[in-house]
Amino acid sequence: MRQPGRYSRLMMCGGIMGRSGPHSLPLARIKKIMKNSGEDVKMISGEAPIVFSKACELFIEELTRRSWMTTQQGKRRTLHKEDIESAVVGTDIFDFLVSLVSDSCKSEDIITPVGIETLDES
Amino acid sequence: MERMGGGLPRRHANSPNPANSNNSGDGHAVGNTSNPANATGSTGNNTAQSTHRPVVRVQDQHMPIANVVRIMRRVLPPHAKITEAAKETVQECVSEYIAFITAEANQRSQREQRKTVSAEDIIWAMSKLGFENYVDPLNVFLHRYRESENSDRSQFMKREHPLMDYGPAVPSGPAGPQVAMMPPPLLPHFVPEFPLGFEQRGPPMLDPSMIEIFLDGGSSTGAAEGGSSSSFGAQDKNWLGGFDPSAQSK
Repeated sequence: MRQPGRYSRLMMCGGIMGRSGPHSLPLARIKKIMKNSGEDVKMISGEAPIVFSKACELFIEELTRRSWMTTQQGKRRTLHKEDIESAVVGTDIFDFLVSLVSDSCKSEDIITPVGIETLDES
Repeated sequence: MERMGGGLPRRHANSPNPANSNNSGDGHAVGNTSNPANATGSTGNNTAQSTHRPVVRVQDQHMPIANVVRIMRRVLPPHAKITEAAKETVQECVSEYIAFITAEANQRSQREQRKTVSAEDIIWAMSKLGFENYVDPLNVFLHRYRESENSDRSQFMKREHPLMDYGPAVPSGPAGPQVAMMPPPLLPHFVPEFPLGFEQRGPPMLDPSMIEIFLDGGSSTGAAEGGSSSSFGAQDKNWLGGFDPSAQSK
């Protein structure tokens, strides 16, 4: 199956052609996470979640690519959480994720819905 | 504090993914922050501080895992496998990313005494926090989105000059071509703020980007928004031809 390029995909997924057509990621969910970022976010422009939907795609792709490099170095074909941790640790701009991934690795059976903050007393 | 031990069934209660929310309602607890810089963790809807931690459903706090995995697979070879834990980790990282960027963008909008976090704030925050590589694709994306929104309304306002040529009287951002012919003083009367929604059905013949700009009280100019506008180099007619997707730095 031919993989669309990054920009032609914009057209194909309808995210651009439609009015607020289907994006890869649900806008309402993005907006909810933005509101919950805890910084007293009051109002969010209508376009902000749309920009985020694209930005999150780029982010996921980058994180995955970097993680996969670690997988390949280990001559494996299965991407593990440890590969993601390795990518996070090895990439400066992912520093904000370090405590998130290392905490998850330490307490694998605890999945908290509220991110790292609830883990800091553990 | 509610902890979802294991939680596989809940985490994979994959909510259907319409374009809009499928959540259980805003009356529900709003999650605490996932931003390490913010210790309060409370939002406008939730004043619980220490005694009562409302339940937050995991699936409301993250992007749907199926969507996340679909995006991951775009950059993986077809034979690649992904563990469930890895998928969940990426899912959590995305939420953290959104919160991280939003916090910075929100600070900027507050510094500039604006009540609304704009798309330009988001893009600016990404640049500031090290995600400069995303700025160009996002500006193109935003421009095309605005173009598609406006193409339904009017085509006659389009101009073909580069945005950077515009003088300070013209608002910044990719909306430049459409804005040039609009008398600025009219706009504030038409422009509502969008409290929680992201409805893009703005007033006719208005570009959504103008809404935020004029909500700023006109204080945002091309110079103020230079971080995003200056990096925007694509033109209408050759935005695709002028970009080589493979040239985007990884």
